[in-house]
Amino acid sequence: MELSVDPPPEKPAKKPAAKAGPAWLIPGAVAPIERADPYLDIEDYDPEADLMVLNLGPQHPSTHGVFRVKLYLDGEIIVKAVPFAGYLHRGVEKLCEKLAFTQITPIVDKNDYVSPMMNEQAINLAFEALLGAEVPRRARYLRTLVAELQRIGSHLLWLGTFALDLGGALGGGSTVFLHCFRERELILDLFEALTGCRFHYNTHTVGGNRHDIPEGWASLVKQALAVIESRLPEYEELMTDNSIFVKRTRGVGVVDGELCLELGITGPMARAAGVDYDMRRDAPYHAYDEVEVRVQTETAGDCQARTLVRIREISESIRIVRALIDGVPEGPICGHKPIKIVLQERSAGGQAYAALESPRGELGTWVIGGGVNKGTSPYRLKIRPPSLHAAACLPYVLPGHSVSDAIVILGSVDPIMGEVDR
Amino acid sequence: MEDDRAFTHPLYDFMARMPGLDVATTSVDKLLTWGASNALWIFPMATSCCGIEFMAAAASRVDLDRMGTIVRGTPRQSDVMVVAGTITVKMAPRVKKLWDQMPEPKWCLAMGSCAISGDFYRDIYSVVPGIDTFLPVDVYVPGCPPNPEELMHGLLRLQEKIRAFRAGKPRGAAERPPTPEHMRRPSLPRLDDPTRPDELSLLQTQSAGSLGHGTEMNLIELRRSKAGEALAAKLAALRAPAAPAEPAEKKE
Amino acid sequence: MKGAPKNEELEQLLAAEFGVTEFPSDAPPLVDRARHLELAARLKALGYRLYVTVVATHYLPQAASKAGPEQPEHFEVATALRKPTQGGTLAAWRCKLAVGEGIPSLVGLFAGADWQEREQFDLVGVRFDDHPDLRRLMMPDDWEGHPLRKDYAIDTACTPWR
Ligand code: SF4
Repeated sequence: MELSVDPPPEKPAKKPAAKAGPAWLIPGAVAPIERADPYLDIEDYDPEADLMVLNLGPQHPSTHGVFRVKLYLDGEIIVKAVPFAGYLHRGVEKLCEKLAFTQITPIVDKNDYVSPMMNEQAINLAFEALLGAEVPRRARYLRTLVAELQRIGSHLLWLGTFALDLGGALGGGSTVFLHCFRERELILDLFEALTGCRFHYNTHTVGGNRHDIPEGWASLVKQALAVIESRLPEYEELMTDNSIFVKRTRGVGVVDGELCLELGITGPMARAAGVDYDMRRDAPYHAYDEVEVRVQTETAGDCQARTLVRIREISESIRIVRALIDGVPEGPICGHKPIKIVLQERSAGGQAYAALESPRGELGTWVIGGGVNKGTSPYRLKIRPPSLHAAACLPYVLPGHSVSDAIVILGSVDPIMGEVDR
Repeated sequence: MEDDRAFTHPLYDFMARMPGLDVATTSVDKLLTWGASNALWIFPMATSCCGIEFMAAAASRVDLDRMGTIVRGTPRQSDVMVVAGTITVKMAPRVKKLWDQMPEPKWCLAMGSCAISGDFYRDIYSVVPGIDTFLPVDVYVPGCPPNPEELMHGLLRLQEKIRAFRAGKPRGAAERPPTPEHMRRPSLPRLDDPTRPDELSLLQTQSAGSLGHGTEMNLIELRRSKAGEALAAKLAALRAPAAPAEPAEKKE
Repeated sequence: MKGAPKNEELEQLLAAEFGVTEFPSDAPPLVDRARHLELAARLKALGYRLYVTVVATHYLPQAASKAGPEQPEHFEVATALRKPTQGGTLAAWRCKLAVGEGIPSLVGLFAGADWQEREQFDLVGVRFDDHPDLRRLMMPDDWEGHPLRKDYAIDTACTPWR
């Protein structure tokens, strides 16, 4: 059996490359925007202008954590935006250099705290590649299932908080917020039944999973999915058919596909700009090569397109889970020798990079083996956070918008600070 | 905890001074305490994962609002600061500044192991080993993250505490199970630690107060100042006795 | 390089134009740091348009042993790019730097390199030449030292706050 982390040899492309435009963009994708200069020297800006400096964050309800943007305003229009990160720098990479491979999973759970499952999978993919561990088929199916469920949960949370950003805590926004959290609890219940934890699961390990599917879980999943699916049209109505919502998001914060790629932005944000790329389909890992993944794209690249892509990805994830849940193969969930002692996994050296498609884009891990204690720890570990790249688009996009639009853009970018700062 | 934590409010003093009203103070007092403890407006200092669980607590299933709490985005209208998440050295001055901006009476609830002790990031160069090294914490809610129900329980205990303090019957430290000495020792002495040097609070206040647009922490000047150096020496001396105990633990 | 399939295209390019002869199976190939920028530009023209990551690693001086010959203190900077198409081919290479040496910045080619390089500068202390805005990203501006270096104590104190 081949390694789960190895994408299969290149298949012939399903779609012929688009005639117009570059091959990595779908036809009709938004034309390159006029980029603001992120390194603009504010002294050079019109000396007549009455500039004001506004400090947004690090404690601001709409920054989704502790993000700080310094805005230079001319009237209400942003002239220059300088983001600051690092208010949640917890030294995860330094800490991991001291720990054994199997001890790291619960630590990285806390990076992208909206989708902990993805962190565990990303890090274990890299460790499996480094150590040459095989993952049994059942575990790969299980990983695919929890990954998709996690994607639903993560997008729901995003939708709720984005609505808060748009509508304010006591305005209309909290309706969607409350609805989304109601549905997210269903997903958390499923995970609780699987792993015993609501939030930080520690269920993946090098070479497999630690918790097998409990009896009757499949029917629980189906019930929960039915509920969520029945309520999705409601969100579409609340968000996309709502004229206030459309007014505030259409044409706001456009990021074109070219800029996305240059900035390293992947995931829903890039797909909203017409980048037809999804690692689940294009470089499959886990069991994604056995299931069809329909990549959701939009062409406008603005905040509305990002919302639409994410809402559609929820229904797509529901479809993938439905397609897999009944066909989970029998067998062990951890193909590796059972982990008895934490110092069991050793690596002499070597480097590995493995990535997966998290709800925010390409979440990768670069690991260099051969650390302390005779190689039971990584020598160096680097996480490639999708949120960091997404947040890095702000100085290019914010100038030219007003402050209230800045909040919308910040929300639609969906940066998770635990992941940006680590 | 210290017994002088009993809170007061201008309204109480006003009532006590009113001629004729002082007869009724006890019942008015009761009424006011009931109001204060049942209308806790929360200022969420939500920095990381615990903040998500805090949001879940405020949302549909658990619904904190039915306890009279409202989540406010500003410190100036809040009674309780819920510190949910890891506090780093870059963030700590800001947290302290926000805490100083809250009007009295105010309470602080530490949610999650990160806020309580720094969790497994405790020894990392950039993480504050527990917010009680610079904030007076009233209620600790353990967990990583605590369930929304646990947060709710913590708030209920806070209400109890408020009533008890106002009534002059604070629960003393004696009722708490003793914490082992080495666990009580973060790299900085806590606020309730008798060995805590006074300069520490002073320097923290200075660091928080000097935040501005361009500056992140102004730490260099503080650290290089005479007070900063003296303090660093004092802290190093304080840490020293705990040092021999540590290698023995690490061997396990 | 483990975890990513072998990239024939990159190896041919490196062998033909960049004089690289060694292609270890478990690590990305080593490229001369003077040609780092040129290689990135070539790859971008070849369709590797997605900026993935940059990883700087600090190595302490090592005496000669079974594991290898004597090594002075040095840094390694690994860069990865990706083709955002079917297969998602990854191209990764390393450059070796002595202490005090810098590496050309990729910001001119890939805007996404900005923050990643700032982060590596902050945490590992590798200098990226011609970076338009090389400030610390994670730690406060007045922090001393680079935390991810191997000789940096993990529990370094920072006086009033920890
Ligand atoms: S206690 Fe756990 S869940 Fe809470 S902030 Fe810390 S790491 Fe996150």
